[in-house]
Amino acid sequence: MSVRHALLGLLAQQPRYGYELCAGFTALAGGRENWDVKPAQIYTTLSRMTDSGLVTLANGKNDNSLEKPLYSITLVGMEELMNWFRDSVLEEPHQDAFYLKLMLSLELDEVDAVRLIQIQRTALFQELHRITELRQSLDPQQQLAQILLMDKAVMHLEADVRWLDMIESRLEEVQHQPPPKPYLRPRGRPPSQ
Amino acid sequence: MTMIEVKDLSKVYGSGETKVIALDSVNLTIEQGQFVAVMGPSGCGKSTLLHLIGGLDRPTTGTVTVEGKDISKMSDTTLTELRRRKMGFIFQFYNLIPVLDAVENTALPLILDGVKPETARIKAKEWLTRNKLEDRGSHRPDELSGGQQQRVAISRAMVADPVIVLADEPTGNLDSRSGDEIASVLRKIVSDWGRTVLMVTHDPRIAAYADRIIFLKDGRIVDDALLSGDNGDNAKRLKEKVEAL
Repeated sequence: MSVRHALLGLLAQQPRYGYELCAGFTALAGGRENWDVKPAQIYTTLSRMTDSGLVTLANGKNDNSLEKPLYSITLVGMEELMNWFRDSVLEEPHQDAFYLKLMLSLELDEVDAVRLIQIQRTALFQELHRITELRQSLDPQQQLAQILLMDKAVMHLEADVRWLDMIESRLEEVQHQPPPKPYLRPRGRPPSQ
Repeated sequence: MTMIEVKDLSKVYGSGETKVIALDSVNLTIEQGQFVAVMGPSGCGKSTLLHLIGGLDRPTTGTVTVEGKDISKMSDTTLTELRRRKMGFIFQFYNLIPVLDAVENTALPLILDGVKPETARIKAKEWLTRNKLEDRGSHRPDELSGGQQQRVAISRAMVADPVIVLADEPTGNLDSRSGDEIASVLRKIVSDWGRTVLMVTHDPRIAAYADRIIFLKDGRIVDDALLSGDNGDNAKRLKEKVEAL
């Protein structure tokens, strides 16, 4: 959803060509290594938004023309963008793949939960190290926006590491508790009395 | 080249019922030019390990070898000499002398070692400049921020050109921004000046500046993770760990 609204945001500044929007999105999102959106996806999104009337072609629609389409935002698109600004953004940190792994490991003798935590922690620290180096290589006078984005990544990774520490310290307790089990509704006809 | 080698190192405090095993048969090798962080819950033995490697404390059993010399059997005088020439210490509290300015504080270890005051001041100013304190040389500690005081303390630790720098919670008393500054100074000490740094910290974001993290728990090393260097190498280590599951 964000790609669509980011494109609308770029178009709210001025009409732009497709390649400008690709470059504009990549710059905004902190570089291709940070958020890789393929041009194909951008063009598909643009054509969908044109169909639904959020965006229009400023230089007329002519399939035979050699001229590149110049996109501009419509009133409906502007309204959609403003709605997006009004909404807050909540991510879903509780849908966690590692959590699933850990819960399943508690029931399997073949997997050692402590080792699982260590592997995850090493990977988190390697990523933390990579982001820290990247952040250090940025110039605070020129690239403050990117630095703030890296800071967010650092803080999230830091929180993930602290969460692992917390799990590790309470692992024995949780091992003695049954993991969440589904409630299975009895199916079929109730047994006859 | 191996800079520090720790073999079967144990430290036991007290005896009988009040006996506390701070370190339990730790083995560890640290190469020259490596930035190593030691992490673990409080009371896991991380500071004890640092103190034993720095010769600030004597092991109960086992050995610590620095540049091929076993320091656990050295006499106090030889050990003091080695500490003064080869090691730099950085602590959570900067331990600067309040009545001396930044240059005098930094130059102090050299002056105590018999270096001519003028030469010592020149070396001190060099390190203060490297740590971006060139315009703070005549300031006394109470005229400096926490981060600046710690950078003076780092300059003082570096002034005698140690090969090993030992830092015990160097950012423990600082806000996160000054903490980052200190961590990047330590990073430079390794990357730009080729020294070996061993740092105890409980802060993941500070540990992330290091090349390697040792995790201690109940006096034992429970994990040892390489953070940088050849990515293929890291992948291999991770794969080995996965296979050990």
